Amino acid sequence: MRMSSTNLRSEVYKILGFTYRNYIITKRNFFTLFETLFWPIIGLISVGLMGAYLSLEERYLAFILIGAVTLSILQVSQLDVAYVLLFDIWSKSLRYTFVTPVSIFHMIFGAWLFGSFRGLVAFLILALSGKYLFDLNLLIDPPSLLLFLLGIFLSAMIIGTLTCSLLLIFGYRAEVAAWTLTAIFMLLCGIYYPVTLLPAGIREIAYAIPLTHFLEFYRSFYGFSPSTSNPALLGYSLSFLFLILLFLILIWASERARKKGTVTQFSE
Amino acid sequence: MHSIVCEDVWMVYRSLFSEKVALSGIYLKIPSNRIYGILGPNGAGKTTLISLMATLLRQTKGRIEVLGYDTLRELKEIRKRINIASGNPNLIWSLTVYENLRYYSLLYGINDKKAVEELIREFELEEFRDVEFNRLSTGNKQKLILARAFVNDPELVFLDEPTKGLDPPVARRLREKIRSLQKELGITVVLTTHYMSEAEMLCDRIAFINRGKIVAEGTKEELKRMLKMRDKITIEIDANIPNLSIEGVFAVERDGNQLSFYVDSAEARIWDIAKEVARFGRIKNISVKEVDLEDVFNELAK
Repeated sequence: MRMSSTNLRSEVYKILGFTYRNYIITKRNFFTLFETLFWPIIGLISVGLMGAYLSLEERYLAFILIGAVTLSILQVSQLDVAYVLLFDIWSKSLRYTFVTPVSIFHMIFGAWLFGSFRGLVAFLILALSGKYLFDLNLLIDPPSLLLFLLGIFLSAMIIGTLTCSLLLIFGYRAEVAAWTLTAIFMLLCGIYYPVTLLPAGIREIAYAIPLTHFLEFYRSFYGFSPSTSNPALLGYSLSFLFLILLFLILIWASERARKKGTVTQFSE
Repeated sequence: MHSIVCEDVWMVYRSLFSEKVALSGIYLKIPSNRIYGILGPNGAGKTTLISLMATLLRQTKGRIEVLGYDTLRELKEIRKRINIASGNPNLIWSLTVYENLRYYSLLYGINDKKAVEELIREFELEEFRDVEFNRLSTGNKQKLILARAFVNDPELVFLDEPTKGLDPPVARRLREKIRSLQKELGITVVLTTHYMSEAEMLCDRIAFINRGKIVAEGTKEELKRMLKMRDKITIEIDANIPNLSIEGVFAVERDGNQLSFYVDSAEARIWDIAKEVARFGRIKNISVKEVDLEDVFNELAK
Protein backbone atom coordinates (compact mmCIF):
# COMPACT_ATOMS: atom_id res chain seq x y z
CA MET A 1 0.00 0.00 0.00
CA ARG A 2 1.37 3.42 -0.92
CA MET A 3 1.76 5.98 1.79
CA SER A 4 -0.26 9.15 1.24
CA SER A 5 1.53 12.49 1.49
CA THR A 6 -0.38 13.30 4.71
CA ASN A 7 0.76 10.02 6.23
CA LEU A 8 4.31 10.64 5.10
CA ARG A 9 4.24 14.14 6.61
CA SER A 10 2.89 12.72 9.84
CA GLU A 11 5.73 10.16 9.96
CA VAL A 12 8.28 12.93 9.35
CA TYR A 13 6.80 15.00 12.22
CA LYS A 14 7.09 12.03 14.55
CA ILE A 15 10.80 11.76 13.72
CA LEU A 16 11.30 15.52 14.02
CA GLY A 17 9.60 15.45 17.44
CA PHE A 18 12.65 13.69 18.86
CA THR A 19 15.04 15.95 16.95
CA TYR A 20 13.18 18.95 18.38
CA ARG A 21 13.34 17.63 21.94
CA ASN A 22 17.07 16.86 21.79
CA TYR A 23 17.71 20.29 20.28
CA ILE A 24 15.85 22.09 23.10
CA ILE A 25 17.55 20.06 25.82
CA THR A 26 20.99 20.66 24.30
CA LYS A 27 20.31 24.36 23.87
CA ARG A 28 19.30 24.68 27.51
CA ASN A 29 21.82 22.36 29.09
CA PHE A 30 25.33 23.60 29.76
CA PHE A 31 26.53 20.03 30.26
CA THR A 32 25.63 19.00 26.71
CA LEU A 33 27.49 22.03 25.32
CA PHE A 34 30.46 20.78 27.30
CA GLU A 35 30.11 17.38 25.66
CA THR A 36 30.16 18.97 22.21
CA LEU A 37 33.03 21.38 22.72
CA PHE A 38 35.10 20.97 25.85
CA TRP A 39 36.01 17.28 25.95
CA PRO A 40 36.67 16.94 22.19
CA ILE A 41 39.08 19.90 22.24
CA ILE A 42 40.81 18.64 25.39
CA GLY A 43 41.19 15.24 23.70
CA LEU A 44 42.65 16.73 20.54
CA ILE A 45 45.11 19.02 22.35
CA SER A 46 46.36 16.39 24.80
CA VAL A 47 46.91 13.73 22.13
CA GLY A 48 48.45 16.28 19.76
CA LEU A 49 50.88 17.50 22.43
CA MET A 50 51.83 13.93 23.28
CA GLY A 51 52.62 13.38 19.59
CA ALA A 52 54.73 16.53 19.55
CA TYR A 53 56.61 15.42 22.68
CA LEU A 54 57.35 12.07 21.08
CA SER A 55 58.48 13.90 17.89
CA LEU A 56 56.17 11.80 15.74
CA GLU A 57 56.39 12.02 11.98
CA GLU A 58 53.57 14.03 10.43
CA ARG A 59 51.70 10.94 9.15
CA TYR A 60 51.87 9.19 12.55
CA LEU A 61 50.65 12.33 14.25
CA ALA A 62 47.76 12.33 11.75
CA PHE A 63 47.12 8.65 12.61
CA ILE A 64 46.64 9.24 16.32
CA LEU A 65 44.83 12.57 15.92
CA ILE A 66 42.31 10.87 13.61
CA GLY A 67 41.71 8.41 16.46
CA ALA A 68 41.16 11.26 18.92
CA VAL A 69 38.83 13.14 16.55
CA THR A 70 36.82 10.02 15.71
CA LEU A 71 36.43 9.13 19.39
CA SER A 72 35.06 12.61 20.09
CA ILE A 73 32.55 12.82 17.25
CA LEU A 74 31.41 9.25 17.78
CA GLN A 75 30.80 9.92 21.47
CA VAL A 76 29.00 13.23 20.86
CA SER A 77 26.66 11.81 18.23
CA GLN A 78 25.91 8.47 19.91
CA LEU A 79 24.97 10.20 23.17
CA ASP A 80 21.96 11.80 21.49
CA VAL A 81 20.70 8.38 20.43
CA ALA A 82 21.37 6.81 23.83
CA TYR A 83 19.74 9.77 25.58
CA VAL A 84 16.50 9.34 23.61
CA LEU A 85 15.35 6.82 26.21
CA LEU A 86 17.44 8.14 29.07
CA PHE A 87 15.84 11.62 29.00
CA ASP A 88 12.46 9.93 29.52
CA ILE A 89 13.80 7.52 32.12
CA TRP A 90 15.48 10.26 34.14
CA SER A 91 12.37 12.43 34.09
CA LYS A 92 10.09 9.40 34.71
CA SER A 93 8.01 10.28 31.67
CA LEU A 94 8.59 7.14 29.59
CA ARG A 95 4.89 6.18 29.65
CA TYR A 96 3.99 9.43 27.87
CA THR A 97 6.34 8.62 25.00
CA PHE A 98 5.33 4.97 24.78
CA VAL A 99 1.61 5.76 24.73
CA THR A 100 2.02 7.80 21.51
CA PRO A 101 1.91 6.11 18.08
CA VAL A 102 5.67 6.44 17.56
CA SER A 103 7.84 3.42 16.90
CA ILE A 104 11.32 2.77 18.09
CA PHE A 105 12.55 3.81 14.60
CA HIS A 106 11.07 7.30 14.94
CA MET A 107 12.84 7.68 18.28
CA ILE A 108 16.24 6.45 17.13
CA PHE A 109 16.18 8.21 13.76
CA GLY A 110 14.95 11.56 15.16
CA ALA A 111 17.59 11.59 17.90
CA TRP A 112 20.25 10.41 15.46
CA LEU A 113 19.58 13.36 13.13
CA PHE A 114 20.37 15.80 15.90
CA GLY A 115 23.30 13.68 17.12
CA SER A 116 24.77 13.75 13.64
CA PHE A 117 24.39 17.52 13.55
CA ARG A 118 26.18 17.80 16.90
CA GLY A 119 28.86 15.40 15.65
CA LEU A 120 29.33 17.49 12.52
CA VAL A 121 29.74 20.66 14.59
CA ALA A 122 32.28 18.89 16.82
CA PHE A 123 34.17 17.65 13.74
CA LEU A 124 34.35 21.11 12.15
CA ILE A 125 35.64 22.63 15.40
CA LEU A 126 38.22 19.85 15.74
CA ALA A 127 39.24 20.18 12.09
CA LEU A 128 39.84 23.93 12.58
CA SER A 129 41.67 23.34 15.87
CA GLY A 130 43.78 20.58 14.30
CA LYS A 131 44.80 22.87 11.44
CA TYR A 132 45.55 25.80 13.72
CA LEU A 133 47.32 23.92 16.52
CA PHE A 134 49.10 21.05 14.75
CA ASP A 135 49.01 22.02 11.08
CA LEU A 136 46.97 18.90 10.36
CA ASN A 137 44.49 19.03 7.49
CA LEU A 138 41.53 16.81 8.36
CA LEU A 139 39.49 18.03 5.41
CA ILE A 140 40.10 15.40 2.73
CA ASP A 141 38.16 15.60 -0.54
CA PRO A 142 34.47 16.33 0.23
CA PRO A 143 32.82 13.10 -1.07
CA SER A 144 35.30 10.91 0.85
CA LEU A 145 34.96 13.07 3.96
CA LEU A 146 31.19 12.78 3.73
CA LEU A 147 31.49 9.02 3.31
CA PHE A 148 33.68 8.82 6.43
CA LEU A 149 31.47 11.09 8.55
CA LEU A 150 28.28 9.27 7.56
CA GLY A 151 29.99 6.00 8.46
CA ILE A 152 30.89 7.35 11.90
CA PHE A 153 27.35 8.62 12.41
CA LEU A 154 26.00 5.18 11.49
CA SER A 155 28.39 3.70 14.07
CA ALA A 156 26.95 6.21 16.55
CA MET A 157 23.46 4.92 15.71
CA ILE A 158 24.68 1.35 16.31
CA ILE A 159 26.13 2.19 19.74
CA GLY A 160 23.13 4.31 20.76
CA THR A 161 20.66 1.63 19.66
CA LEU A 162 22.62 -0.98 21.59
CA THR A 163 22.44 1.23 24.70
CA CYS A 164 18.67 1.65 24.29
CA SER A 165 18.21 -2.12 23.99
CA LEU A 166 20.32 -2.72 27.10
CA LEU A 167 18.28 -0.12 29.00
CA LEU A 168 15.00 -1.83 28.14
CA ILE A 169 16.40 -5.24 29.03
CA PHE A 170 18.42 -4.48 32.17
CA GLY A 171 16.87 -1.25 33.39
CA TYR A 172 18.72 1.58 35.16
CA ARG A 173 21.86 -0.53 35.62
CA ALA A 174 22.50 -0.28 31.87
CA GLU A 175 22.68 3.52 31.73
CA VAL A 176 26.44 3.30 32.21
CA ALA A 177 26.56 1.92 28.63
CA ALA A 178 25.83 5.43 27.33
CA TRP A 179 29.27 6.60 28.44
CA THR A 180 31.35 3.42 28.19
CA LEU A 181 30.40 1.64 24.97
CA THR A 182 32.12 4.17 22.71
CA ALA A 183 35.40 3.73 24.57
CA ILE A 184 35.15 -0.07 24.30
CA PHE A 185 34.37 0.13 20.58
CA MET A 186 37.25 2.54 19.98
CA LEU A 187 39.62 0.32 21.95
CA LEU A 188 38.68 -2.61 19.73
CA CYS A 189 38.73 -0.67 16.48
CA GLY A 190 42.21 0.85 16.73
CA ILE A 191 41.88 4.26 18.32
CA TYR A 192 45.62 5.09 18.36
CA TYR A 193 47.06 1.94 16.74
CA PRO A 194 46.39 -0.44 13.82
CA VAL A 195 44.16 -3.40 14.72
CA THR A 196 46.89 -5.77 13.54
CA LEU A 197 48.47 -5.12 16.95
CA LEU A 198 45.54 -6.73 18.72
CA PRO A 199 45.84 -10.38 19.82
CA ALA A 200 44.29 -13.02 17.56
CA GLY A 201 40.63 -13.56 18.36
CA ILE A 202 40.15 -9.94 19.40
CA ARG A 203 41.55 -8.82 16.04
CA GLU A 204 38.82 -10.84 14.26
CA ILE A 205 36.18 -9.17 16.43
CA ALA A 206 37.67 -5.79 15.48
CA TYR A 207 37.34 -6.61 11.78
CA ALA A 208 33.69 -7.50 12.26
CA ILE A 209 32.97 -3.99 13.58
CA PRO A 210 32.24 -1.36 10.90
CA LEU A 211 34.06 1.40 12.80
CA THR A 212 37.40 -0.37 12.18
CA HIS A 213 36.90 -0.07 8.44
CA PHE A 214 35.78 3.57 8.54
CA LEU A 215 38.95 4.43 10.50
CA GLU A 216 41.09 2.53 7.98
CA PHE A 217 39.28 4.32 5.13
CA TYR A 218 40.03 7.76 6.60
CA ARG A 219 43.60 6.91 7.49
CA SER A 220 44.20 5.64 3.95
CA PHE A 221 44.21 9.32 2.87
CA TYR A 222 47.24 9.84 5.13
CA GLY A 223 49.32 7.01 3.64
CA PHE A 224 48.19 4.00 5.69
CA SER A 225 47.11 0.95 3.70
CA PRO A 226 43.76 -0.51 4.74
CA SER A 227 43.46 -4.24 5.40
CA THR A 228 40.75 -4.61 2.74
CA SER A 229 40.49 -3.26 -0.79
CA ASN A 230 37.32 -1.27 -0.15
CA PRO A 231 37.03 -0.43 3.56
CA ALA A 232 34.19 2.07 3.11
CA LEU A 233 31.99 -0.46 1.28
CA LEU A 234 32.75 -3.12 3.90
CA GLY A 235 32.06 -0.60 6.69
CA TYR A 236 28.68 0.30 5.24
CA SER A 237 27.69 -3.31 4.59
CA LEU A 238 28.55 -4.26 8.16
CA SER A 239 26.76 -1.17 9.49
CA PHE A 240 23.51 -2.12 7.79
CA LEU A 241 23.82 -5.69 9.03
CA PHE A 242 24.42 -4.47 12.59
CA LEU A 243 21.52 -2.02 12.39
CA ILE A 244 19.06 -4.63 11.12
CA LEU A 245 20.12 -6.99 13.90
CA LEU A 246 19.99 -4.27 16.57
CA PHE A 247 16.58 -3.01 15.46
CA LEU A 248 15.25 -6.56 15.72
CA ILE A 249 16.71 -6.79 19.23
CA LEU A 250 15.22 -3.40 20.12
CA ILE A 251 11.76 -4.44 18.89
CA TRP A 252 12.03 -7.61 20.98
CA ALA A 253 13.27 -5.59 24.00
CA SER A 254 10.33 -3.15 23.69
CA GLU A 255 7.80 -6.00 23.63
CA ARG A 256 9.58 -7.63 26.55
CA ALA A 257 9.40 -4.32 28.43
CA ARG A 258 5.61 -4.29 27.88
CA LYS A 259 5.34 -7.84 29.21
CA LYS A 260 7.59 -7.23 32.21
CA GLY A 261 6.16 -3.84 33.09
CA THR A 262 9.49 -2.03 32.61
CA VAL A 263 7.82 0.94 30.89
CA THR A 264 5.52 1.60 33.85
CA GLN A 265 8.32 0.96 36.35
CA PHE A 266 10.47 3.59 34.62
CA SER A 267 7.57 6.06 35.01
CA GLU A 268 7.12 5.69 38.78
CA MET B 1 -21.52 0.83 22.33
CA HIS B 2 -18.38 0.04 24.31
CA SER B 3 -15.00 1.79 24.16
CA ILE B 4 -13.20 -1.03 25.94
CA VAL B 5 -13.93 -4.73 26.23
CA CYS B 6 -11.78 -6.98 28.45
CA GLU B 7 -12.23 -10.74 28.28
CA ASP B 8 -10.54 -13.05 30.76
CA VAL B 9 -7.54 -10.76 31.13
CA TRP B 10 -4.62 -11.97 33.24
CA MET B 11 -1.42 -10.16 34.06
CA VAL B 12 1.38 -12.11 35.65
CA TYR B 13 4.74 -10.48 36.36
CA ARG B 14 7.41 -13.12 36.05
CA SER B 15 11.05 -12.93 37.07
CA LEU B 16 13.65 -15.66 37.35
CA PHE B 17 12.65 -16.77 40.82
CA SER B 18 9.18 -15.38 41.39
CA GLU B 19 5.78 -14.87 39.90
CA LYS B 20 3.21 -12.28 40.90
CA VAL B 21 -0.37 -12.40 39.69
CA ALA B 22 -1.45 -8.75 39.35
CA LEU B 23 -4.77 -9.35 37.57
CA SER B 24 -6.78 -12.53 37.22
CA GLY B 25 -9.72 -13.20 34.94
CA ILE B 26 -10.88 -9.64 34.35
CA TYR B 27 -14.10 -9.24 32.37
CA LEU B 28 -15.13 -5.64 31.81
CA LYS B 29 -17.11 -3.57 29.33
CA ILE B 30 -16.58 0.17 29.47
CA PRO B 31 -19.32 2.18 27.76
CA SER B 32 -18.48 4.98 25.33
CA ASN B 33 -18.85 8.70 26.04
CA ARG B 34 -18.96 8.25 29.81
CA ILE B 35 -16.61 8.69 32.74
CA TYR B 36 -15.82 5.25 34.07
CA GLY B 37 -14.14 4.83 37.44
CA ILE B 38 -11.83 2.04 38.51
CA LEU B 39 -11.57 2.02 42.30
CA GLY B 40 -9.70 -0.19 44.69
CA PRO B 41 -7.23 -0.20 47.58
CA ASN B 42 -3.47 0.26 47.08
CA GLY B 43 -1.92 -2.59 45.11
CA ALA B 44 -5.32 -3.87 43.95
CA GLY B 45 -4.27 -3.73 40.27
CA LYS B 46 -5.87 -0.45 39.13
CA THR B 47 -2.75 0.99 37.49
CA THR B 48 -1.89 -2.38 35.93
CA LEU B 49 -5.38 -2.58 34.41
CA ILE B 50 -5.29 0.97 33.08
CA SER B 51 -1.75 0.43 31.70
CA LEU B 52 -2.92 -2.70 29.87
CA MET B 53 -5.84 -0.83 28.32
CA ALA B 54 -3.50 2.03 27.36
CA THR B 55 -1.14 -0.49 25.65
CA LEU B 56 1.75 0.26 28.01
CA LEU B 57 1.68 -3.34 29.20
CA ARG B 58 1.00 -6.60 27.39
CA GLN B 59 -1.36 -9.03 29.08
CA THR B 60 -0.23 -12.57 29.88
CA LYS B 61 -3.58 -13.99 28.79
CA GLY B 62 -6.93 -12.80 27.51
CA ARG B 63 -8.19 -10.21 25.05
CA ILE B 64 -8.53 -6.45 25.31
CA GLU B 65 -10.30 -4.47 22.64
CA VAL B 66 -9.93 -0.69 22.75
CA LEU B 67 -12.13 1.37 20.39
CA GLY B 68 -12.64 -1.78 18.36
CA TYR B 69 -8.92 -2.56 18.00
CA ASP B 70 -7.01 -5.41 19.57
CA THR B 71 -4.25 -4.33 21.99
CA LEU B 72 -1.94 -7.12 20.87
CA ARG B 73 -2.20 -6.63 17.13
CA GLU B 74 -3.34 -3.07 16.47
CA LEU B 75 -1.24 -0.96 18.80
CA LYS B 76 -0.70 1.91 16.41
CA GLU B 77 -4.40 2.36 15.64
CA ILE B 78 -5.20 2.45 19.36
CA ARG B 79 -2.38 4.80 20.28
CA LYS B 80 -3.47 7.36 17.68
CA ARG B 81 -6.87 7.59 19.39
CA ILE B 82 -6.07 7.46 23.10
CA ASN B 83 -4.06 9.40 25.64
CA ILE B 84 -3.15 9.18 29.30
CA ALA B 85 -2.49 11.48 32.27
CA SER B 86 -1.10 10.31 35.56
CA GLY B 87 -1.15 11.77 39.05
CA ASN B 88 2.65 11.60 39.17
CA PRO B 89 3.35 14.80 37.25
CA ASN B 90 6.51 13.94 35.34
CA LEU B 91 7.53 15.41 32.01
CA ILE B 92 10.90 16.41 30.56
CA TRP B 93 12.18 18.90 33.17
CA SER B 94 13.91 21.40 30.95
CA LEU B 95 11.14 21.83 28.38
CA THR B 96 8.70 24.70 28.87
CA VAL B 97 4.91 24.33 28.89
CA TYR B 98 4.78 25.26 25.19
CA GLU B 99 7.72 23.02 24.23
CA ASN B 100 6.32 20.01 26.07
CA LEU B 101 2.95 20.32 24.33
CA ARG B 102 4.58 20.95 20.95
CA TYR B 103 6.92 17.99 21.38
CA TYR B 104 4.10 15.60 22.24
CA SER B 105 1.85 16.84 19.44
CA LEU B 106 4.70 16.16 16.99
CA LEU B 107 4.87 12.60 18.32
CA TYR B 108 1.25 12.23 17.21
CA GLY B 109 2.27 13.45 13.75
CA ILE B 110 0.62 16.83 14.31
CA ASN B 111 2.44 20.04 13.46
CA ASP B 112 -0.02 22.67 14.61
CA LYS B 113 1.41 25.52 16.69
CA LYS B 114 -1.99 27.22 16.89
CA ALA B 115 -3.61 24.16 18.45
CA VAL B 116 -0.83 24.09 21.07
CA GLU B 117 -1.49 27.74 21.94
CA GLU B 118 -5.24 27.00 22.20
CA LEU B 119 -4.57 24.14 24.55
CA ILE B 120 -2.44 26.44 26.72
CA ARG B 121 -5.34 28.89 26.86
CA GLU B 122 -7.92 26.17 27.49
CA PHE B 123 -5.99 24.97 30.55
CA GLU B 124 -5.23 28.51 31.77
CA LEU B 125 -1.48 28.10 31.42
CA GLU B 126 -0.79 31.29 29.38
CA GLU B 127 1.11 32.89 32.24
CA PHE B 128 3.43 29.87 32.40
CA ARG B 129 3.80 29.29 28.65
CA ASP B 130 7.57 29.78 28.72
CA VAL B 131 8.25 28.34 32.16
CA GLU B 132 10.25 25.12 32.32
CA PHE B 133 8.39 22.11 33.70
CA ASN B 134 10.56 21.75 36.82
CA ARG B 135 9.79 25.37 37.81
CA LEU B 136 6.01 24.93 37.74
CA SER B 137 3.91 24.45 40.89
CA THR B 138 2.45 20.96 41.44
CA GLY B 139 -0.99 22.22 40.42
CA ASN B 140 0.28 23.70 37.17
CA LYS B 141 2.36 20.58 36.45
CA GLN B 142 -0.83 18.56 36.81
CA LYS B 143 -2.71 20.96 34.54
CA LEU B 144 0.03 20.55 31.93
CA ILE B 145 -0.10 16.76 32.25
CA LEU B 146 -3.84 16.95 31.65
CA ALA B 147 -3.42 19.39 28.74
CA ARG B 148 -0.86 16.99 27.24
CA ALA B 149 -3.53 14.26 27.26
CA PHE B 150 -5.57 16.31 24.77
CA VAL B 151 -2.87 17.13 22.18
CA ASN B 152 -4.17 14.48 19.78
CA ASP B 153 -7.94 15.09 20.19
CA PRO B 154 -8.33 11.63 21.73
CA GLU B 155 -11.51 9.59 21.73
CA LEU B 156 -10.50 7.93 24.97
CA VAL B 157 -8.47 9.34 27.86
CA PHE B 158 -7.06 7.40 30.80
CA LEU B 159 -6.64 9.39 33.99
CA ASP B 160 -4.61 7.59 36.62
CA GLU B 161 -5.29 9.36 39.93
CA PRO B 162 -5.26 12.76 38.23
CA THR B 163 -5.70 14.87 41.39
CA LYS B 164 -3.28 12.99 43.64
CA GLY B 165 -1.50 15.29 46.06
CA LEU B 166 -3.25 18.47 44.95
CA ASP B 167 -4.71 21.11 47.27
CA PRO B 168 -8.50 20.68 47.56
CA PRO B 169 -9.39 23.87 45.58
CA VAL B 170 -6.97 22.96 42.76
CA ALA B 171 -8.26 19.38 42.74
CA ARG B 172 -11.84 20.64 42.58
CA ARG B 173 -11.08 22.90 39.61
CA LEU B 174 -9.37 20.04 37.79
CA ARG B 175 -12.36 17.76 38.40
CA GLU B 176 -14.67 20.40 37.01
CA LYS B 177 -12.37 20.69 33.99
CA ILE B 178 -12.41 16.93 33.44
CA ARG B 179 -16.20 16.85 33.65
CA SER B 180 -16.69 19.81 31.30
CA LEU B 181 -14.16 18.51 28.74
CA GLN B 182 -15.77 15.08 28.74
CA LYS B 183 -19.19 16.60 28.12
CA GLU B 184 -17.99 19.10 25.55
CA LEU B 185 -15.93 16.62 23.53
CA GLY B 186 -18.12 13.57 24.09
CA ILE B 187 -15.11 11.38 24.84
CA THR B 188 -14.73 8.36 27.08
CA VAL B 189 -12.71 8.85 30.26
CA VAL B 190 -11.39 5.97 32.33
CA LEU B 191 -10.37 7.18 35.75
CA THR B 192 -8.67 5.59 38.72
CA THR B 193 -8.82 7.37 42.03
CA HIS B 194 -8.39 7.01 45.75
CA TYR B 195 -10.79 9.83 46.46
CA MET B 196 -14.33 8.56 46.81
CA SER B 197 -15.70 12.09 46.55
CA GLU B 198 -13.96 12.37 43.17
CA ALA B 199 -15.52 9.13 41.96
CA GLU B 200 -18.89 10.19 43.38
CA MET B 201 -18.67 13.52 41.54
CA LEU B 202 -17.28 12.32 38.21
CA CYS B 203 -18.04 8.68 37.46
CA ASP B 204 -21.10 7.44 35.62
CA ARG B 205 -20.15 3.83 36.27
CA ILE B 206 -17.62 2.23 38.59
CA ALA B 207 -15.71 -1.03 38.80
CA PHE B 208 -14.25 -2.05 42.16
CA ILE B 209 -11.06 -4.01 41.95
CA ASN B 210 -9.49 -5.90 44.82
CA ARG B 211 -6.56 -8.33 44.81
CA GLY B 212 -6.50 -8.34 41.00
CA LYS B 213 -10.19 -9.16 40.54
CA ILE B 214 -13.26 -7.09 39.75
CA VAL B 215 -15.45 -7.49 42.82
CA ALA B 216 -18.34 -5.24 41.79
CA GLU B 217 -19.40 -3.14 38.82
CA GLY B 218 -22.24 -0.75 38.08
CA THR B 219 -23.59 2.74 38.66
CA LYS B 220 -23.26 4.22 42.16
CA GLU B 221 -26.85 3.32 42.90
CA GLU B 222 -26.49 -0.20 41.54
CA LEU B 223 -23.43 -0.78 43.69
CA LYS B 224 -25.21 0.35 46.84
CA ARG B 225 -28.19 -1.83 45.97
CA MET B 226 -25.92 -4.73 45.20
CA LEU B 227 -24.59 -4.60 48.74
CA LYS B 228 -28.11 -3.97 50.05
CA MET B 229 -26.66 -1.04 51.96
CA ARG B 230 -28.74 2.07 51.71
CA ASP B 231 -28.42 3.85 55.04
CA LYS B 232 -25.85 4.25 57.76
CA ILE B 233 -27.03 4.75 61.37
CA THR B 234 -24.32 6.09 63.67
CA ILE B 235 -24.87 5.89 67.43
CA GLU B 236 -22.60 7.33 70.12
CA ILE B 237 -22.97 5.82 73.61
CA ASP B 238 -21.25 6.42 76.95
CA ALA B 239 -20.29 2.79 77.55
CA ASN B 240 -18.50 -0.13 75.93
CA ILE B 241 -20.77 -2.36 73.89
CA PRO B 242 -20.11 -6.02 73.09
CA ASN B 243 -20.53 -7.34 69.54
CA LEU B 244 -24.17 -7.17 68.57
CA SER B 245 -26.20 -9.21 66.13
CA ILE B 246 -29.29 -7.33 65.05
CA GLU B 247 -31.68 -8.36 62.30
CA GLY B 248 -31.42 -6.32 59.11
CA VAL B 249 -27.90 -5.01 59.85
CA PHE B 250 -25.39 -5.91 57.11
CA ALA B 251 -22.25 -4.55 58.71
CA VAL B 252 -21.12 -2.76 61.87
CA GLU B 253 -18.17 -0.42 62.15
CA ARG B 254 -16.75 0.49 65.54
CA ASP B 255 -14.79 3.62 66.40
CA GLY B 256 -14.36 3.75 70.18
CA ASN B 257 -17.80 4.17 71.66
CA GLN B 258 -19.28 5.11 68.32
CA LEU B 259 -20.97 2.41 66.25
CA SER B 260 -22.09 2.61 62.63
CA PHE B 261 -24.77 0.20 61.42
CA TYR B 262 -25.25 -0.39 57.68
CA VAL B 263 -28.87 -1.24 56.92
CA ASP B 264 -31.29 -1.58 54.03
CA SER B 265 -33.66 1.03 55.47
CA ALA B 266 -33.00 3.36 58.44
CA GLU B 267 -36.71 4.01 58.85
CA ALA B 268 -37.46 0.34 59.38
CA ARG B 269 -34.46 -0.51 61.58
CA ILE B 270 -33.59 2.51 63.69
CA TRP B 271 -35.86 1.73 66.69
CA ASP B 272 -34.76 -1.89 67.00
CA ILE B 273 -31.12 -0.87 66.85
CA ALA B 274 -31.52 2.00 69.31
CA LYS B 275 -33.39 -0.26 71.76
CA GLU B 276 -30.68 -2.92 71.59
CA VAL B 277 -27.85 -0.42 72.04
CA ALA B 278 -29.63 1.37 74.91
CA ARG B 279 -29.42 -1.84 76.93
CA PHE B 280 -25.69 -1.19 77.43
CA GLY B 281 -25.61 2.53 78.22
CA ARG B 282 -26.95 5.99 77.62
CA ILE B 283 -27.19 7.04 73.95
CA LYS B 284 -25.49 10.43 73.44
CA ASN B 285 -26.12 10.94 69.78
CA ILE B 286 -27.81 9.28 66.80
CA SER B 287 -27.39 10.26 63.19
CA VAL B 288 -28.63 8.78 59.92
CA LYS B 289 -27.16 9.28 56.50
CA GLU B 290 -27.39 7.69 53.11
CA VAL B 291 -24.53 5.29 52.38
CA ASP B 292 -21.88 6.89 50.15
CA LEU B 293 -19.30 5.44 47.83
CA GLU B 294 -16.68 5.44 50.57
CA ASP B 295 -18.84 3.08 52.63
CA VAL B 296 -19.30 0.80 49.63
CA PHE B 297 -15.57 0.92 48.97
CA ASN B 298 -14.73 0.04 52.59
CA GLU B 299 -17.10 -2.89 52.48
CA LEU B 300 -15.74 -4.18 49.16
CA ALA B 301 -12.11 -3.71 50.14
CA LYS B 302 -12.52 -6.05 53.14
